[in-house]
Amino acid sequence: MNIQSPALTLDAVRKTFHTANGPLEAVAGINLSVGTGEIVAFLGPNGAGKTTTIDMMLGLTAPSSGTVRVFGKSPRTAVADGDISAVLQTGGLLRDLTVQETVTAIAALHDAKDRIDSVMERTDITALAKRKVSKCSGGEQQRLKFALALLPDPRLLILDEPTAGMDVSARHAFWETMRQDALEGRTVLFATHYLEEAQDFAERTVLIGAGRVLADGPTTKLRDLTGARVVSATLPTGAITALAVAALEALEQVSSVRLAGQRITVTGPNSDAAARLLLGELAASDLEITAPTLDAAFMELTGAKA
Amino acid sequence: MNLTYVRIELFRQCRDVGNLMFTIVMPAVMYLLFGNMFGGGGESAGNGNVKFYIMASMAAYGAAVATTAIAGSAATESILGWGRQIALTPMKPSGFIGAKVCVALIVGAVSAAAVFTMGAATGAVADSWRIWLGSYLIAVFGAAIFALYGMGVGMSFKSESALGVASGGMVFFAFFGNVFLPLSGTMLDIARFTPMYGYTGLVRWPLLEGQGAASGGPVDSIWLLVANLVIWALLFATLALWALRRSRARR
Repeated sequence: MNIQSPALTLDAVRKTFHTANGPLEAVAGINLSVGTGEIVAFLGPNGAGKTTTIDMMLGLTAPSSGTVRVFGKSPRTAVADGDISAVLQTGGLLRDLTVQETVTAIAALHDAKDRIDSVMERTDITALAKRKVSKCSGGEQQRLKFALALLPDPRLLILDEPTAGMDVSARHAFWETMRQDALEGRTVLFATHYLEEAQDFAERTVLIGAGRVLADGPTTKLRDLTGARVVSATLPTGAITALAVAALEALEQVSSVRLAGQRITVTGPNSDAAARLLLGELAASDLEITAPTLDAAFMELTGAKA
Repeated sequence: MNLTYVRIELFRQCRDVGNLMFTIVMPAVMYLLFGNMFGGGGESAGNGNVKFYIMASMAAYGAAVATTAIAGSAATESILGWGRQIALTPMKPSGFIGAKVCVALIVGAVSAAAVFTMGAATGAVADSWRIWLGSYLIAVFGAAIFALYGMGVGMSFKSESALGVASGGMVFFAFFGNVFLPLSGTMLDIARFTPMYGYTGLVRWPLLEGQGAASGGPVDSIWLLVANLVIWALLFATLALWALRRSRARR
């Protein structure tokens, strides 16, 4: 086996679905290379093509064009060899099986019965062994799916929105388990539409939207990219708005100033200076400072590329 | 074939009490009802008596309904995303279908055995143990074609109601397949083309060797019955394959 081959490579991968409304390009040419041991967030809004791309990494769907290699092999071979495994999005469990039966059935298919106890312990589901899947909470079901994914002892682990439908404490507990596991040197790629999940857990973030890679780099850089905040306030009646706009535009790091009636909106990373100016000299009221949503960051990115 | 997987799947199906009533208890009860409808049922028929004839018919019905219901549950599983979970293991689609058919045949065998036990206890008679064995084995293994039917219909509809459609269809096929009541005239002519006719005729073959229920009626050749079974097996296999491909393309 070639140790040099990356864990995962996607080369000009496209996927077009034929729907009643004509062809739909879910993935419009993705290039990606993930090295061994990397932890990568696959960040994008719903409908960005994350799940379709993940399906192609796992060989659940064949790309319309382009190639996917997992440790230099085809995805299906890698799955059969137990090199790659995944926690799929909601669903994927039989509700009338017990937790123990589910793990045993999947372990039997992987020929990994000796790993059942350690995997159940690691994912904290040993106490749930006799419980029916239908009686498990969303977080417990997700831990069970995580256990199933660990059974083949994969080198590359894919998580598709692993915390969807979990409350905050369950989400934290899940990532705590993941963090311990990641220390074992597995390569991890997870899809999410929570910006904070990418920031807390991934060293590298791949931003995708409309089936394309919009940005790919260290997660800290992404934070700068989305650092722009929006400050808005209402100017006092009678104030000369043109002067206010000019004063705000003169500030450093202000990317735009917009005016709608007496309401003025300033965008830029230096929100403190804008706020000080608005509340002080300009005597504005109703001040609001908002951090950008992920959607706003996407609009900015897609706008910049257009 | 993965035995652990088959065992867990079998246990799972056995916990579905509603389904078991439908697939195992109901055919046995129906045998008791129909068996006493035509007088004592002790009159001779072919190489045995009328009770054996009704027992063989109900065993065929029970086995076919059981395989339909079990195989049809593959559709519900695919809606739940279990198929995707399985696709992350080394098990191939053919292995999945093989395990499903295996479980379906085991439940079908139990269903037919329940009817045969009831028959043996209430006076079904055949001239030789070979007739019992032959009839039973044909019922169990012939029911495999209805596993294809259940899977095909289940995956075509892709909803929870698929199982109801498939099972409801079986009652229709059984009436028009000469299974419940001996048909005659035009009805019997139509019945020869329906999917349960060949299968049930073969299950009854050790007893009747092709004769109708009423003596002096038309006699079916074994080739007509085999042709019916084979053609429907091919049609159901095509349906199952088409449905499987379609359900994949939609992903």
